[in-house]
Amino acid sequence: MPEFDLLGFLIQWLTIFGLYSILAITLNLEAGFAGLTNFGKVVFYGIGAYVGATLTTYLTLHLNNVDPFEYPPYSIDGIVKLIELGGKSPPLSIGLLALSLIIAFIAAGSVGFLLTYPILRVGPAFVGFTLLSFGELMRVFLRHYEPVGGSKGLAAIPRPFSWVGDPKLSGFLFLLLVLGLVAFTYITMDRLTNSPIGRVFRAVRDDEIAALCLGKHVPRIKALTLFIGSGFSGMAGALMAYYFTSVNPDMFVPAVTFNVWAMVILGGMGNFTGSIIGVALFTLVDRLLAFITPTLGVTAISPDYIRWMFVGLLIVIVLLFMPKGLLAERPLKTPAADEARKLLAEGVGSAQHT
Amino acid sequence: MRRLKMPQVPWDVLSSLTVMVVQYSLLYMIFAVPLTLSYRTTKVINFVHSNFVTYGAYAAILLNGLYGNRNMLLAAALAFTVSGGIAVLNNVAVFRPLDKKGAKPVALMISSMGLWIFYKYLLYTIIDLATYFSRINFVSYPKIVYEWIPSLSLGSVKLSSSFIATSLSAAAMIAGLYALLEKTNLGRAMRAVSDNPTLSEISGIPRHMVVNLTWLIAGGIAGVGGVLWTSYAGSITPEAGDSMILQIFTVGFIGGLSSLTRTCIGAVLVASIENYGITLLNQFFGVETSYKPFLTFITLITTLVVSPPLGAGGGLPYKLFRRAGRSA
Repeated sequence: MPEFDLLGFLIQWLTIFGLYSILAITLNLEAGFAGLTNFGKVVFYGIGAYVGATLTTYLTLHLNNVDPFEYPPYSIDGIVKLIELGGKSPPLSIGLLALSLIIAFIAAGSVGFLLTYPILRVGPAFVGFTLLSFGELMRVFLRHYEPVGGSKGLAAIPRPFSWVGDPKLSGFLFLLLVLGLVAFTYITMDRLTNSPIGRVFRAVRDDEIAALCLGKHVPRIKALTLFIGSGFSGMAGALMAYYFTSVNPDMFVPAVTFNVWAMVILGGMGNFTGSIIGVALFTLVDRLLAFITPTLGVTAISPDYIRWMFVGLLIVIVLLFMPKGLLAERPLKTPAADEARKLLAEGVGSAQHT
Repeated sequence: MRRLKMPQVPWDVLSSLTVMVVQYSLLYMIFAVPLTLSYRTTKVINFVHSNFVTYGAYAAILLNGLYGNRNMLLAAALAFTVSGGIAVLNNVAVFRPLDKKGAKPVALMISSMGLWIFYKYLLYTIIDLATYFSRINFVSYPKIVYEWIPSLSLGSVKLSSSFIATSLSAAAMIAGLYALLEKTNLGRAMRAVSDNPTLSEISGIPRHMVVNLTWLIAGGIAGVGGVLWTSYAGSITPEAGDSMILQIFTVGFIGGLSSLTRTCIGAVLVASIENYGITLLNQFFGVETSYKPFLTFITLITTLVVSPPLGAGGGLPYKLFRRAGRSA
């Protein structure tokens, strides 16, 4: 039995955990707070990943005076050049990373924004279905679009921290980046949902028509939600492309979306901390399975299928017996609510004097 | 001035294409009518619907592969039982308890998504086991040729036995559903439940039994559709139902998930648009035929914008294009 590398395991697990956390938190914003049943989470993740991968590979070649059209990054020559050139200059790597994150946010967010147009007037089922099928279309398109590698995808994407040298240290730096983005996402979403617009999100979720009657611009709220949620998922996608150093269309199957849904439902809709717990549990089990599966050898039943059956059942069981998930939705944090709570604690009598 | 050369119309291509469009229309009808039927009675957006088709197909395949069955009626009966049984089981074990707990329609839909994943990978597991023990490749199974079903040729037009079986099944389904819904008490009860569940229960209709029966019929018909698919598709994989989910739901949405007649029209529309459309695009612009789903997706988006199924599964009574002087 090989020696168990705890540090390596932790870096691996936490990086995957971070990527999925961003997806789960944003899905919770969309589905748990604004009532947008986004069954196409993988679309925006995929757009981000492809934007990051395409920008990095093409620009790495171009800025190193290699014509990316003569040595396209999906060809063998291009991949050889990329391995040669990638990770040589720190400013270039960091610059490309920043650029990818920004463009990924804008690209994924804009697609999310545009996709809300046809689904403004229809209920959650149609929203879910439209986004789900858009994801499948994106896969068909990517498979046939040669500049991003067709069905083989892009490989040898230079990692942003590979200039450090030590793979463990560069992995650790990347982990810090991912966790930083998770914290940024968490804080943004937490502030957003506890602000006036967060209250409008909840109003739209609970009763669209009532919110409309109160003068809230429901379509704009939905478009905004999907823009923000998708933008952050796009950034997670770009980071994912760097982490795996390759992207291909079959990474972005609907199963990814369902995984994120299961995490959010397990953690509790409308509670970001719950989502993070859900992600932690799921990714930990997955990492452990990845260690155990090879030791089982060839089996009649694939452990992967059993895992997926369990995911499906888990969604149903949580909805049936624990509809609020592990952590229930918390009341709003607003200055007015804090004030009211303080007054209640002091007693109603003193409230009359203030 | 150069004279434009009129292109020769390839009649043989056109006629075989039309036969294909008709067959697809009928297949989509058999797949999508039960979706509309189940939605309007139960108000559950049922993603398991694609499993019904796949399980129906695999009921026929396992019967053929393991026992050498080539009788389509037997396969259809088994498929009806399997898919219908799954549908009733879902309702009894998941949808009704959720409904009883006052879950929102969204929760029902999400649970159906969970069930969809579960059934999909359960089927993969079953197929793995069957392949392991029988040494037959069930993961990609060739088309089944059923016995006793004739094929016809009208002049240059050839109608395969699969076409005959599909048209007979579609006709039987339409006649059967018409008779059931319009002429029998059970059908009237089903329509009453879909119009107003509470009122129907007050007036003494055994609502749960009616809902269960609706699920049985809806799941069963979709399963039979799966059997027909095994006689038509080049090869059948466990993704058979999922690969058609876009078409099935688009057809259902055109029907507003409420009208069976409009669902049938939607089936013809979707089949025509995607097959004629991609052939034209392929001939004149060289678009690859694998881009076919894009046409269906455009149809879906157009349906949602122009004639959204209002009232189905929530949604806003919101006009995108408001004109002065016109009431909403």
